[in-house]
Amino acid sequence: MRLVTHNMLQCHVKGCNSNNFPLQLSDVEIEIQETDFNPKFLRNMLSKLEWNALVKTALEINITTLPNVLPNDLDEEFLKMLHRVLLETHIKQGQMICPNCNHTYPIKDGIPNMLLSETET
Amino acid sequence: MSSKKSTPTQAFLYENKKSLNPITEEQQYVHDVYEKIAQHFSSTRYKPWPVVEEFFKELEIGSIGIDVGCGNGKYLDVNRNIYIIGADRSSNLIEISASRGFESLICDALKLPYRNECFDFVTSIAVIHHFTTPERRITAIKELFRIAKPGSKVLIYVWAMEQTESRRKFDENYQDVFVPWVIPADKNEKREEIVYKRYYHLFKKGELDELVLNTGLAKIIRSDYNKDNWYVIAIKK
Repeated sequence: MRLVTHNMLQCHVKGCNSNNFPLQLSDVEIEIQETDFNPKFLRNMLSKLEWNALVKTALEINITTLPNVLPNDLDEEFLKMLHRVLLETHIKQGQMICPNCNHTYPIKDGIPNMLLSETET
Repeated sequence: MSSKKSTPTQAFLYENKKSLNPITEEQQYVHDVYEKIAQHFSSTRYKPWPVVEEFFKELEIGSIGIDVGCGNGKYLDVNRNIYIIGADRSSNLIEISASRGFESLICDALKLPYRNECFDFVTSIAVIHHFTTPERRITAIKELFRIAKPGSKVLIYVWAMEQTESRRKFDENYQDVFVPWVIPADKNEKREEIVYKRYYHLFKKGELDELVLNTGLAKIIRSDYNKDNWYVIAIKK
């Protein structure tokens, strides 16, 4: 799972409707997989992310290179750093914990399992 | 599960469904079946349907979206200029999708784990027909529109009662049927043919459009029949 995917996820336990995003990453194993750099794709994608949540989540996995505010002028060096963080960084193992209800979603072999038990839905 | 000798086309069953609990019924006749047939199913799913392929190719570069019910991920690399998440209820199918290098996760289409209005596009290809009640089909469609941004496109494909291209002929008195999935006999392994029954709700003309419009969440920009399916492209309001 990449951080872009994580940026879209929220807790969906029944009744858990506020403070349920972003899910907190814990006990993660990370793997870097290189992929083609596509600046236009990256630029367009950036405006669609919840930046504050992304920065917060990145810090949880010790990525400290993201600025608190997304700069207006995105030079190539900055985009390459973002490319590494957003598209080449994969969370292979770990869990995601809801900040509101503490429900835990596992990530195994890079695949988050977001299914709930019947009593949680 | 039953084991018998027949060809796939002869094996079609028309059973009048007396509804059990929809949750256990979908577990038995949808989720459990896809887990068991995942490998064989995936080996038959490689050719993209043109309408779906075109939908993905027309999206703006840098769009972020999701294919709810992606199966083995056959559409996830149609357009390399978009970011697409593949989601499915079947962990075995999702493992195949992930092994191909696609962004993949396990979730339930009735309760999608995504923020409201966070995606630039949403697709649901051959999924909604597996829900056993009208209420559950409506809930699944509402979820697709909940996570789509206003103005974004949502593509929904479902199996048609009126199938003109295949040899299947459905009895229009039975909209809720079991459709077999046949894994051929393997002489080397001395294994007989295995037939799994999958639940389908066969959509009649106009039925999908009505469900979409009744949500009040979208307007339909295209609605047609293609490859034995009804499909709708709708814009989230």
